[in-house]
Amino acid sequence: PRPDVQPLPPGTHLLFAQSGKIEHVPLEGYDVKKDQAKAVLHLPEKVVIGVAYDCVEKMVYWTDITTPAISRASVQGGEPTPIITADLESPEGIAVDHLGRTLFWTDSMRDRIEVASLDGTKRRVLFDTDLVNPRAIIADPVHGYLYWADWNRQAPKIEASYMDGTNRKVLVKDDLGLPNALTYDPQSSLLCWADAGTHKVECMNPTRSDRRTVLEGIQYPFSMVSFGKNLYYTDWKRDAVVVVDRATGKESDQFQPQKRSRLYGIATAYAQCPTGRNYCAVN
Amino acid sequence: DATAGTSSDCQPCPCPGGSTCAVVPKTREVVCTNCPTGTTGKRCELCDDGFFGDPLGQNGPARACRVCKCSENIDPNAVGNCDRETGECLKCIHNTDGFFCDRCKEGFYGNATASNLSEKCKSCSCSPFGTVNRQTSCLQVTGKCQCLPHVTNRDCSACEPGFYNLQSGRGCERCNCNAIGSTN
Repeated sequence: PRPDVQPLPPGTHLLFAQSGKIEHVPLEGYDVKKDQAKAVLHLPEKVVIGVAYDCVEKMVYWTDITTPAISRASVQGGEPTPIITADLESPEGIAVDHLGRTLFWTDSMRDRIEVASLDGTKRRVLFDTDLVNPRAIIADPVHGYLYWADWNRQAPKIEASYMDGTNRKVLVKDDLGLPNALTYDPQSSLLCWADAGTHKVECMNPTRSDRRTVLEGIQYPFSMVSFGKNLYYTDWKRDAVVVVDRATGKESDQFQPQKRSRLYGIATAYAQCPTGRNYCAVN
Repeated sequence: DATAGTSSDCQPCPCPGGSTCAVVPKTREVVCTNCPTGTTGKRCELCDDGFFGDPLGQNGPARACRVCKCSENIDPNAVGNCDRETGECLKCIHNTDGFFCDRCKEGFYGNATASNLSEKCKSCSCSPFGTVNRQTSCLQVTGKCQCLPHVTNRDCSACEPGFYNLQSGRGCERCNCNAIGSTN
């Protein structure tokens, strides 16, 4: 018997992975409703690393390094279903293109970035060169871009390409340490990252080169999402989700679950899909 | 089930350390939700990522969860560094290999457990011309490559004195210099 999903109440939530479960905490406006945090899914035998959300079918997707596998489950109550189990070693970051109905992930042992349909079919390798420790991966379906970070200690970098794998380029390579966490906010067109080596949160518009520091002196970021004016990142040292106001560059809140252990991937479960049409649908 | 109306409606959580638990709807399975530090699983029987052991002694004597022990040849920023039960290291770096990342991987030699990075594992770099079957591996500690006849040096890159033609790939040949016409 498999543990089932506890249906998510309406509204927007943060989903994050911690020690054999995926938890949710509701957002009211931009505030974290800490007292309403609850497990969405118990996966007691698994080590869940990356979490992504599909706002169309209201499904949570995750990578797990124990099986290893990529699985999904409906947040309205459903069975966890593995969709990719073969040829994986250390699947970490995961991103959903809700418009193109595809899934992207990084594998830090196979040193690859791969893509497949949301049901796991039509799998294809996008990149298998110049990758050492790829982790975070983000899709911007409206503009058709993919972003990822590689924390290779010798040469950390943040890269971009079109979602079909063409037009690959390095966006950032200077003054990076361990860029574990990466997020893109379509409203402000800002790509932001949190770095466990430089201990900074930085942002830039990927089409311009206007990189700027949002916050310094952070501890150990692992994964990050943007939602409206805020950034929410998981921290390995604090065992918490930390809330940062992007405009003021100040930490505004934190949520530390009762269970003390590292927090991994984080995603936003939107009440509704962000508006926008797919790049491919337009062209 | 607190609504059944019997004295055994609520039972203590079957979890170590007084951990809280939850009943999963539908399956009615009980899952511990606040396992002691470093442990996880339905009954806190597993170790968290980055730890290994057998906290409830399911396979032999109980072993508390300990941090992965990999001869300082893993990266703390990586996930899944060791097997959560046996402790086998899964992500050795610095060109090391083995259960505890305690030896050099194939094609490298040196002291995998040295604290100084420069003394750790170096590439064998065997000379392809002077090495048996053009092997790329060498002896773990000394780094000696397996040389063809009359080939010398650690990396089989030179002929012994009195021999020539390393490039032949079959070992070095005797010079056969005439003793009368040669200087030594």
